[in-house]
Amino acid sequence: MESILRLEGVRKSYVKAQRSVEALRGINLTIRKGEFLAIVGPSGSGKTTLLNIVGCLDLPTSGSVLYDGRELGRMSELELSVYRKENISFIFQSYNLIPVLTVQENVELPMVIERRCSRSEMRRRAREIIAAVGLNEMADRYPRELSGGQEQRVAIARALVKNPIVVLADEPTANLDSHTAEEIMSLMETMNHERQTTFIFSTHDAMVQRHARRVIVLHDGLVSEDRGEAA
Amino acid sequence: MITAITMMVGIGFFIALDSLYNGLDRLSVDDLINYRDSSVKIFSAAYDADRESYPLDKGISDAAAFATWLKKDPRVVAAAPRTQFLAQAGNYRDSIYVIGTVVDPVADPGVFALKKVLIGSYFTPQNGQDRQIILGKDLAAKLGLKIGDTVLLAASTRFEAQNADDFTIIGLLSTSDPTLNKSTAMITYAAGNDFLDLGGLVTEVDVRLRQRVNLSDTLSDAASVAAGVKASFPSLAPYSFQDLNKGFLTVLRQKRLWGYMIMLFILLLSAVGIVNTVLMSVYERVREVGVLKALGFRSREVVWMFIFEGFLVGCLGSLLGAALGVFINCYSIYVGFSLAGMGDFGGGFAFWGTLRGEWNPGSIVFAVIFGMVLAVIAAAIPARSAARMTATSALRFV
Repeated sequence: MESILRLEGVRKSYVKAQRSVEALRGINLTIRKGEFLAIVGPSGSGKTTLLNIVGCLDLPTSGSVLYDGRELGRMSELELSVYRKENISFIFQSYNLIPVLTVQENVELPMVIERRCSRSEMRRRAREIIAAVGLNEMADRYPRELSGGQEQRVAIARALVKNPIVVLADEPTANLDSHTAEEIMSLMETMNHERQTTFIFSTHDAMVQRHARRVIVLHDGLVSEDRGEAA
Repeated sequence: MITAITMMVGIGFFIALDSLYNGLDRLSVDDLINYRDSSVKIFSAAYDADRESYPLDKGISDAAAFATWLKKDPRVVAAAPRTQFLAQAGNYRDSIYVIGTVVDPVADPGVFALKKVLIGSYFTPQNGQDRQIILGKDLAAKLGLKIGDTVLLAASTRFEAQNADDFTIIGLLSTSDPTLNKSTAMITYAAGNDFLDLGGLVTEVDVRLRQRVNLSDTLSDAASVAAGVKASFPSLAPYSFQDLNKGFLTVLRQKRLWGYMIMLFILLLSAVGIVNTVLMSVYERVREVGVLKALGFRSREVVWMFIFEGFLVGCLGSLLGAALGVFINCYSIYVGFSLAGMGDFGGGFAFWGTLRGEWNPGSIVFAVIFGMVLAVIAAAIPARSAARMTATSALRFV
């Protein structure tokens, strides 16, 4: 499988309560297209920081992050924003759907921001992906009218609608009961198989780790274990 | 929606209060027009030159024909002759100097609304021949007199002979003007021609103009009619309401200026409420900013989105506020709030009749623009700080 992302000696430190905290202490990692990868580790091990850097939401203090050979650190804020818009999607622990938009509109949102296709094309693609996550009947509902599992399905549809290279999910099942969490993981697995989209998620959940084909264990800002298909 | 409703209430009540505040000023002016000065007062030029001494030999010749000419102007509702004279009113023990007024009991109520503030009865054409008099209520009180009592009136006739006679009090004037209450002594021409040997002498013609909603229109009509009379009758000396009440109008303008400052303070207080509501609504959505930035929104686009939303909320709130203000104004202007029963506030000041608002398009436009600008500024400030946050900080924002 071709490599889409490479992290070389990535370090990230920030100041918290007037104290310098080193969240990542030299991460080396290669991620290939179509991987279904879990980043696990105790709280404070650097999972979310790593996910933010991979998602171009944050830049490393030192080291380099290369997407298709392009180094993120050399991109301007505008270039980063464009790169993120075109290639990366997010699924959040608390779904973060826009409450005033319907399911259909929430799913269309990334395409509206991208401004690449016509209104009718946006509508068609959104309907298609909403059907794929099993929410065909709910397209006109608002987030407040959905269950947690349904909201997370909408978040997955929103993440996948623009066919990103990478989908990053920060604790995607943390707010769900075990049955719904299992359903959501199966759905993401299906999408990963069907679309060859790379999924990277941070988690504490053992069930999520069972679904993952590769597991990276972080400890004190370092990769302590890398097991699975790419290892 | 809550922001728009807050704005609607603040702006609506600002517009309504402004209208009523102007209406209160108008009420004071209307009282002077209705009870003392009319809209336009016309003297002969010769009388005007010596007006302070109330001469009885320099009247308007052919006042009746002049009043008929005046009534051709569509703005003129009524005109009435009056003759003023200096006199002493007494109770056989004490006497007080008063300014006597001779009136036409048929024409005068068309110009002055004294019947509305009269205790007792007004002159009728039948009893007008008799020695009857209407006094200011404070004057009567000072002389210890009441309706039905007799007052001794002493004055110089047109030929400067002294005359004195008993007049029966048929009514007492109780106006909002303390001067009128303290010094009015009103008799009819039927009695006055005999008592003062007037021979039909009229020293002034008072004119009532059509009712206008706005004070500025009322004053403008008065000035225009006075100028018309002056142009057509050079021998006359017309005075518009504002000519006669320069000091009063200056005080009114000063009072209005203070009033505007108080209104502005009220508007600023409601502005704090509006800003707070908009700020809260933007801060509640900081996580949304994080999502939008994660999806590819740039900081500038986030700011513009909130500014646009603020503008829309500002438009909605301001226009609803203007509609609410206009609705309340329609009631206050065309129906009004009755002041009956409010009575005397003490110190001789009292209100009668109906308090009506005034249209003030300037304040409506000001309030609408103020609301829109305020909403945009209130949205822009937190939007800028939210947009400056990184997507990760915004997503963690609680």
